[in-house]
Amino acid sequence: MGVIGYGLGVIGAGIAIGLAAFGATSAMARQPEIQGRAFTVFILASAFTEALGLIGFVVTLIS
Amino acid sequence: MDAFGQLSDEIQHLVAEFSSAPVVGDLTVGLTQYSFWLLVAAAVFCILIFVFLKRQTLVPHGMFVNGVEYIIEYVENDVAKGVVGTNWKKHFPFLATVFFFILVNNFIGLIPGMKPGTGAIGCTAALALCSFVYFIYYGCKKHGFFGYWKSLAPAGVAFPMNVFVWVIEVFSLLLRPITLAIRLFCNMFAGHIVMGSFSIMAALFAEPMLEQATAATVAGALPSIAWLLILLIIYAVELIVAFVQAYVFTVLSAVYIQIAEADSH
Repeated sequence: MGVIGYGLGVIGAGIAIGLAAFGATSAMARQPEIQGRAFTVFILASAFTEALGLIGFVVTLIS
Repeated sequence: MDAFGQLSDEIQHLVAEFSSAPVVGDLTVGLTQYSFWLLVAAAVFCILIFVFLKRQTLVPHGMFVNGVEYIIEYVENDVAKGVVGTNWKKHFPFLATVFFFILVNNFIGLIPGMKPGTGAIGCTAALALCSFVYFIYYGCKKHGFFGYWKSLAPAGVAFPMNVFVWVIEVFSLLLRPITLAIRLFCNMFAGHIVMGSFSIMAALFAEPMLEQATAATVAGALPSIAWLLILLIIYAVELIVAFVQAYVFTVLSAVYIQIAEADSH
């Protein structure tokens, strides 16, 4: 059951990381000079969302 | 498959191995495996920095000196100057220390047989608490003790909303160290669990072949090549994660310092 819970929890994180990548790539395509800054922001945003997915993973394993 | 049946058992062992166990003394006074590797990482960090200081010349020579200088300049330009802003010089030592400490710990943990000091919730909670106390101290220094707590609510909002926003802001302030600690801990813990489970998979599939090599066992061991490849890819991802998590922790501390020292919301 825990594995199913993790699968459900990771849906949201997956959608969020996809949206972040979408935003970053379209921003870079529209304005190539902003590439470095946009990449930093993208890494930050994906670290936030990744942490949410990982909390689900760790809670599944520990409990 | 027999191997998949054993897997859940092995993973239970793996998770049990990751909980803190004392190697010297007991849990109240002594060293767990995490704090032992934490001390090792701190020693490695000190030695690296002292060697760096010794070999530093006006024109940097060699890969080591240039590499350390590059990372320090990266923290300086990207985190201190980029996020904190005008008074970056005051906060640069703290940010650089936190960054390098987490970086060295994460990389020490990636060497097989070693554990990351940041893989225990106690260590990351202590780091987050340091950052929490630091930015509250500088906020209080800038605005005065009551001024800082008053500045959490935005100025120019009518009376009842004012109190409501203040309560939400205080709540989010108290959540900051918790999220900092849990993010770093979960990334390290989960990354090592995933690497461990893939190496267990590779070992389980190859085990019958090592005991007796017949055509059937050799064919059964073929999937472990795939597991090893996935393990290598995950290891590469973990190398990136080790850097990114140190960076994220530092950037967030810098953002909180910048918010605490800002003139008004």
